[in-house]
Amino acid sequence: MKVISNIKLLLKITHEHANAHFTLTFSAVLSLLFLIYSYDFNAQSWRPFVLSFLAIYLATTLYVWLISLLIKKDLSKTREIQRLTRFLGYPLILTIFVGNIFASSFAFSLISKNKTPEYTFAYYAFLTQISIILISAFNIFKPYVIDTFLLAMGAFILLAIIYAVLIILSAKCVTSSFAPRWMLPIGVILLFTILTGNIFAFLLGISLIKKARNKDSSAVEKWQKMWSKILRNSMAVFGMFFVIFMFSLSVVSPWTFDYEFATANNYSAILQTPTLEYPLGTDDFGRDLFSRIVFGAQISLIVGFFSTLIPAVVGGTLGAISGYYGKKTDNIIMRLLDILYAIPGILLAIAIIAAFGANTVNLIIALSVGSIPTYARTMRATVMQISNYDFVESARALGASDGSIIFKHIVPNSLAPMIVKATLTIGGAVISTSSLSFLGLGVEPHIPEWGNILKVGSAYLETHSYVAIFPGVCIMLLVLAFNFFGDGLRDALDPKTN
Amino acid sequence: MHTKATLFNNTYRKLSHGRIYAILLILLGLPVHIVAYLMYKIGKNQNSYDETYQRIKQEIVSKRTHLKWKQEFLEQEKKKASFFKESVIDSELEKKVNSLVENRLNKAVEEEVRLLGIEKATYRTYFTELLNSQKFLVISAIPGILMYALLLLYSNPFIRFIFERVIQTLFVILGVATLVFTILYISPLDPARNLLGIEATPEQVANFNRIYGLDQPYLVQLWNALTGLFTFDLGTSFAGKENIIASIANKFPVTLQITILSLIMAIVIAIPVGIISAIRPNSFLDYSFMIIALIGLSIPSFWQGLIFILTFSLELKWFPATYNPGNWLSLVLPIVVLGTSLTASIARMTRSSMLEVINEDYIITAKAKGLNERKVISKHAIRNAMIPIITVIGLLFGGMLGGSSVTEKVFNISGIGSYIVDKQFIPDIPAILGGVVYIAITISIVNLIIDILYAFFDPRIRSKMKES
Repeated sequence: MKVISNIKLLLKITHEHANAHFTLTFSAVLSLLFLIYSYDFNAQSWRPFVLSFLAIYLATTLYVWLISLLIKKDLSKTREIQRLTRFLGYPLILTIFVGNIFASSFAFSLISKNKTPEYTFAYYAFLTQISIILISAFNIFKPYVIDTFLLAMGAFILLAIIYAVLIILSAKCVTSSFAPRWMLPIGVILLFTILTGNIFAFLLGISLIKKARNKDSSAVEKWQKMWSKILRNSMAVFGMFFVIFMFSLSVVSPWTFDYEFATANNYSAILQTPTLEYPLGTDDFGRDLFSRIVFGAQISLIVGFFSTLIPAVVGGTLGAISGYYGKKTDNIIMRLLDILYAIPGILLAIAIIAAFGANTVNLIIALSVGSIPTYARTMRATVMQISNYDFVESARALGASDGSIIFKHIVPNSLAPMIVKATLTIGGAVISTSSLSFLGLGVEPHIPEWGNILKVGSAYLETHSYVAIFPGVCIMLLVLAFNFFGDGLRDALDPKTN
Repeated sequence: MHTKATLFNNTYRKLSHGRIYAILLILLGLPVHIVAYLMYKIGKNQNSYDETYQRIKQEIVSKRTHLKWKQEFLEQEKKKASFFKESVIDSELEKKVNSLVENRLNKAVEEEVRLLGIEKATYRTYFTELLNSQKFLVISAIPGILMYALLLLYSNPFIRFIFERVIQTLFVILGVATLVFTILYISPLDPARNLLGIEATPEQVANFNRIYGLDQPYLVQLWNALTGLFTFDLGTSFAGKENIIASIANKFPVTLQITILSLIMAIVIAIPVGIISAIRPNSFLDYSFMIIALIGLSIPSFWQGLIFILTFSLELKWFPATYNPGNWLSLVLPIVVLGTSLTASIARMTRSSMLEVINEDYIITAKAKGLNERKVISKHAIRNAMIPIITVIGLLFGGMLGGSSVTEKVFNISGIGSYIVDKQFIPDIPAILGGVVYIAITISIVNLIIDILYAFFDPRIRSKMKES
């Protein structure tokens, strides 16, 4: 009896087993979606292209199911996963080429026993790079490509190879508390990958530097603990992956995508259905929807980022002052912020835009002002709690000024709830941006932005529904990714679970 | 009558400690205070406080205790200086020590006097004493009616709470109106130019500005806007010359109806879902519910509206695509779209709130006492978990009223939200002001009511209030 319960527990705590089920579910759901999409109800015919995808996804699902059975058998027999089972992960890596990120990341997590954050960062950096190469490769079908296209693609492929080597290196040489000394220069070089927006590679660089220097072992342990907690939550990691993928794509898109396709009118190709040349079709001016959506990610991320950063800084400062000084200061600041809090964010944004006109800068300001009070409240609550701790008392006894106590001692210790809050509200900001653009109150209409594309799409809903469907799916996925990542961060940073 | 007198007395004693309240009390009962102050000045000599004070001070000084204190303080200061490695100037040290001794002496004397039961004669104690006498109350009842009203309000913690909360809400409403007006006032856009066209002569523009009072100084315009808002007379809109209050009154009910219906939908779906998820955490059902909830949170409502129109109106033809007042079927899609994100938030809130409550000690106690799970959940867990959820629902209601503008635009509903959006292009200042401020007022009042209801229903808040 005890053995059985132990095995159940073993199954529960074995990361690979949980991951296999997760991958199984998602691959099955995706197969189902392909199945629905593979039959054209209007034309009463099958779509052969989609059918081939369906076949691949179904095969993947079956394969993962087999692996999950093997893992179960291994665990119940020998209490650990056999080499052969781990070996089965290798062919599964190839699923990245049909876009099945779930299966390929599962493959990597299955292959190596040594799952340090570095290993995870390395293979996600690799997966991100491959996805970007695949997305950019669609431009081959265009009549011409941008001048920097070949150069950029070559660089991307080189980077992907480097990441692949790093996967092997970090699996072999890095442990949870140590990395060999010669990895230090590699880490420094990796910091430059931020220029391509691949934050996974950047994180890998930081992590390697920390471990290779081996100076402050408590800091390394803290870092290790935090990331392994976040990376254990599969949904959070996929959220993070999608956010970083979108970010990286919008950073590198000017080198691989031609802005002309997104903005120049082409009256010979109006409202085309998806083809290889136009993967998501064209809109009413013959502009390529695929390029428009890729460039739209830029705007959405910029507006989302700044309209989260500005209120977080302003609201955070007000909240910190209010929470630290308390009494009258607190009363005055919070009562004034109550006024802002009483107006729903989107209405305040509409009023501000009505007064100052619709453009991107005004949009950022309008969205920022409305969310100052929520950040101030979050910060205030945390600061009030932390102000009572002993280290604040001792700083005061040592004669530190109020300003240095607040910004050197209290604020760094109360950032965690703010970061969680910010991650969870970026999604809201992205939705608000596109909603306001949809109403004609946001980004200028000529700029390819998801809300603007949808506005066009709503006019052709009956005849060319895909114009409205694809950008919406993108918004939803991006917001969903932020929300999953934020949830994971919250669980990892929440002191209650520590 | 006697109980009434002590009631005034007690409340006055408590309230006059705060500086703002003390000033307020004097202002409200100014005639009474003038007379009472004169009486106090005349009868001041009767008090024995100063006399006793001097006597006791003499006593202590004669005992030479103060010299002992001086020695102590001197030693203390020297030690402190040597620890921090500061140089000491003797004259400054002397001054500092003397002031410290003086302070300690005063405190000791005051303590002694207090023990003798003699109060320091201040106007405050004198007036508090006066409030005890019935005769004084009867005489001063009419001139001091405002002050007594305030004292009466503050004598009961519930009434005090409600009163303060109402004042706060009024302040917020006034602030909202001022803020929105100021934003629109500093706008660089020119409604006259936008409306009359580029060819309009300067005279025409000036005429337009004069008619709508746009040429007046800021404070005059602000005053006009505020009085207009609170007397329900905002004049006519710039474009179309329609009565603004009449249009808002026409459009508000539709918005309110849709919002309330989707709120009801959200509550009916979300709370059971949240409870089921929390009872079986980390189960397949829990995961599915929470993933669906997260998707619901992440869908942009206007896109969801478009997809719904595409599927349910254009393809399946179940519901009409645009709103039609006579057809209740046309309400279904907007309600679902508006309620989706709310449902998702409430479900997530309910789950986390329930999870927190389920791990509380009193739930374990209830289980240990042998109650079955159903009873524990329904009688003990849900009732306690609902408290934070109701606040959240109140706050989300505000967001919904604001967010309705997008949904209204998608389904072509002529509600208040789409009214504001339509008016912003000019910008039609009084119309936007009216729309935004009236929505904010509605939200503030709803939150006010929720807060007050809490004070009545939550025993924890009640006992806290009584303590203070």
